Amino acid sequence: MKGINPLAIAAIAAVAAIVLPFVGSDYAISFSIQLLIFLVLAYSWNWIGGYAGYTHFGQVGFFGIGAYVGSLLNFHYGVPWYLAAVAAAVAGAVVALPLGGAMLRLKGPYFAIGMFGLARVLEAFALGFDSITGGGTGIYLKPVSDLRPIYYAVAAVAFVLLLLTWKLDNSRLGLKLLAIREDESAAESLGIPTTRLKIGTFVASAIAPAAMGSIYAVYLGFIDPPTAFAPNMELTTIAMVLLGGMGTVLGPLVGAVALSVVNEVLWANYPQIYLACVGVIVLLAVLFMPRGIVSLGMKSGWLRIGRPLFRSLAARAGQAAS
Amino acid sequence: MSETILAVENVSKRFAGRIALDSVSIDVARGSITGMIGPNGSGKSTLFNIIAGTLRPDEGRVLVNNKSIATASAAEICGLGVARTFQISRLFAEMTVLENLVAVARGRDDRAAIALALELLDFLEITDIADRWGAELSYGQRKLVEIARALMLQPKIMLLDEPFAGVNPRLQNRIVEHLRTLCARGITVFFIDHEMRIVLKECDLVYVLAEGRLIARGDTQTVRNDAKVLQAYF
Amino acid sequence: MPVADLLVGGILLGGVYALMACGLNLIFGVMRVINFAHGDILAIAALSTVSIAVGLKLPFWVAIVFVPIGCAAFGALIHLLILRRIEGAPLIMSLLATYALSTILVNVAILIWGGGYSGLPGVLSGSIRILGINVSISRLVSFASAIGVSLAVWWVLEYTRFGRAVRSVSAAPELASISGIAIERVRLATFALGTAMAGFAGVLVAPAFAIDPQLGSRFIIKAFAVIIVGGMGSYPGAILAALLLGVIEVFGSYFAGAVIGSAFLFLLMLAVLLVRPRGLLGAGVRV
Repeated sequence: MKGINPLAIAAIAAVAAIVLPFVGSDYAISFSIQLLIFLVLAYSWNWIGGYAGYTHFGQVGFFGIGAYVGSLLNFHYGVPWYLAAVAAAVAGAVVALPLGGAMLRLKGPYFAIGMFGLARVLEAFALGFDSITGGGTGIYLKPVSDLRPIYYAVAAVAFVLLLLTWKLDNSRLGLKLLAIREDESAAESLGIPTTRLKIGTFVASAIAPAAMGSIYAVYLGFIDPPTAFAPNMELTTIAMVLLGGMGTVLGPLVGAVALSVVNEVLWANYPQIYLACVGVIVLLAVLFMPRGIVSLGMKSGWLRIGRPLFRSLAARAGQAAS
Repeated sequence: MSETILAVENVSKRFAGRIALDSVSIDVARGSITGMIGPNGSGKSTLFNIIAGTLRPDEGRVLVNNKSIATASAAEICGLGVARTFQISRLFAEMTVLENLVAVARGRDDRAAIALALELLDFLEITDIADRWGAELSYGQRKLVEIARALMLQPKIMLLDEPFAGVNPRLQNRIVEHLRTLCARGITVFFIDHEMRIVLKECDLVYVLAEGRLIARGDTQTVRNDAKVLQAYF
Repeated sequence: MPVADLLVGGILLGGVYALMACGLNLIFGVMRVINFAHGDILAIAALSTVSIAVGLKLPFWVAIVFVPIGCAAFGALIHLLILRRIEGAPLIMSLLATYALSTILVNVAILIWGGGYSGLPGVLSGSIRILGINVSISRLVSFASAIGVSLAVWWVLEYTRFGRAVRSVSAAPELASISGIAIERVRLATFALGTAMAGFAGVLVAPAFAIDPQLGSRFIIKAFAVIIVGGMGSYPGAILAALLLGVIEVFGSYFAGAVIGSAFLFLLMLAVLLVRPRGLLGAGVRV
């Protein structure tokens, strides 16, 4: 059955991405940076929420930590943005490790709410400890003259995450994470080291968002608690993955593109309508297609992708035997 | 007499004041087919859960290959050679049958894992459903996939929780055949079921549980004629 | 340090938290739904009260009567359109759905009422002296009504036929259905009641606090903290925890400022989640 060839799409997208900063306007570059940042956030959340099944509302906490770590390094010590981003990523991982160990002991909704509460605590700390963080006034950074290096850095990170997700999707590790999502205690009683895998995935899902937080602060030239820990950012990220397809390779991409378009059309003029629309999208997705567009495509066969290694093996074996 | 691969010593378990298991002791010989029967609520599944490590006993201990599992997690117990199936099948719904098997494979070698999965599908004669989603399978197919998945762990002892329940006689015989083959290959089989006919026919040793207590133990003749057993059931 | 003042202030604050948390608990207990939008219903109720009292210039008691009824109707609508469809699904789905609903409500509220603060300066203003402490009348009234309604609903749950039906559906839906209880109707009524409680809390909040559309988001996490500390599904636990947390927040704010003060609540919630997830009086509800 002829489906849409993913490789062709990927090639076209890659070429377009590389060429954009040379032919596009400043506005296009700016829009793309935001899209790519959301892509990175979505792909990271996809690992812990989509594959491992540990949905939560606190990823923006790591984004905020990265934003402040990066901004403070840049502001006080003049650390260049790319090194600050690396430092932010390390900070994210270092915080995520003990946090994951503690929080992942909680079941489903408790974990989700706990992480939400955590992000609020971090926001409150950023606001309250104003001698360090500048509190409500925020921190102003020297604006960056050329956005192009930032664009390429973010695009590279997005590409790496996509690649890693693709590798995950075709590996036994990916299957193990899905097993945790489907039935954690059955998975554990069949020998899958669930705790180790959960924490690892959680830490992995915190690294890139932390780096993105730092880069976003530099991109804006400014950071304050509501911007760093925006719940709307959280909702948008989740909406992208949910709509696109949780636990798939192309899901976050599809969702990110769809929502960025909606964002572009509505955000500047009607931010409330935009956010309400995102809410409606999530609601409709939960009610009618909780596994997202890509999963629907996988099941009905018109997308020739999705865990191809194992599924084609299975299909071959199945057909051979029947 | 072959050595004991699984020993349960005076295990007790309470749930919110209710006694689920009361000082139960069992031993299972290596390479045997052992059965456990008992009316509903007698604690059979609870005992399985304790052996597999999803529950901890309040008193007593469990030894697998003479090693206590008191501090072992469920995953570690699998490492000791224990694999189990579930009474109500718990397959991974959004994965294909093949993926269900490969997901639990041990070791780093992907090719070996896939080869083992295909071999087990062949052994249980279910290769034709390799690409069906876990959620789409019929009741009987689920039972077979559960067994295949447990076998992926290359266990030394298989704990089967009601493998024959609700299954048509032809499939029951098929499963019995497979279990016999496993036994011949040295794998110990320990199962719970209500199908007295099969238990009493196939098992080397039968345990009878009622209201959390062990009320009989012996070969099928002994158990069949035991007054306490008859009383518990009728 | 004015201990008595702070204590009283904390308890009064706790009263409102109690009413919110009890509504949430009721909904969770019966429907296994964690209603993220609960706080926003409170906020919209508060804003509607301001519109009724200031905009339409109607007396305050009109709001007390009609706003909760309106909220109940709205709750019924939400149940029929949304929650009923995701009944069998894992808890996280209802959480996502109500999280989305919350966003929709907040933004619609901003569109209708604007993003700024409003209040009811003329209603229930002033304070009285009780035992040497100055107590704001509006907070006293809101405390008394909140606790009153919470206890009234508790009485309904314990001693009426409807209450018994609610409790059976909560504990064992399959058995409840077999004994002839119309589960669907019980769920619908419960959600409407819980929503009405949030609405009533909103009306009480209007004279006592400055309100804006984001009020709900600030309250919801505190309400979650309350039911987690008190124990999900435990009605008396929610009331006790609400009073406790109200006091903690007020004392915390006194020492470390309002922002860190509210952070204390979240930290306590996290601590409870990690150390004793059942909460103070919870019975380990199966999730």
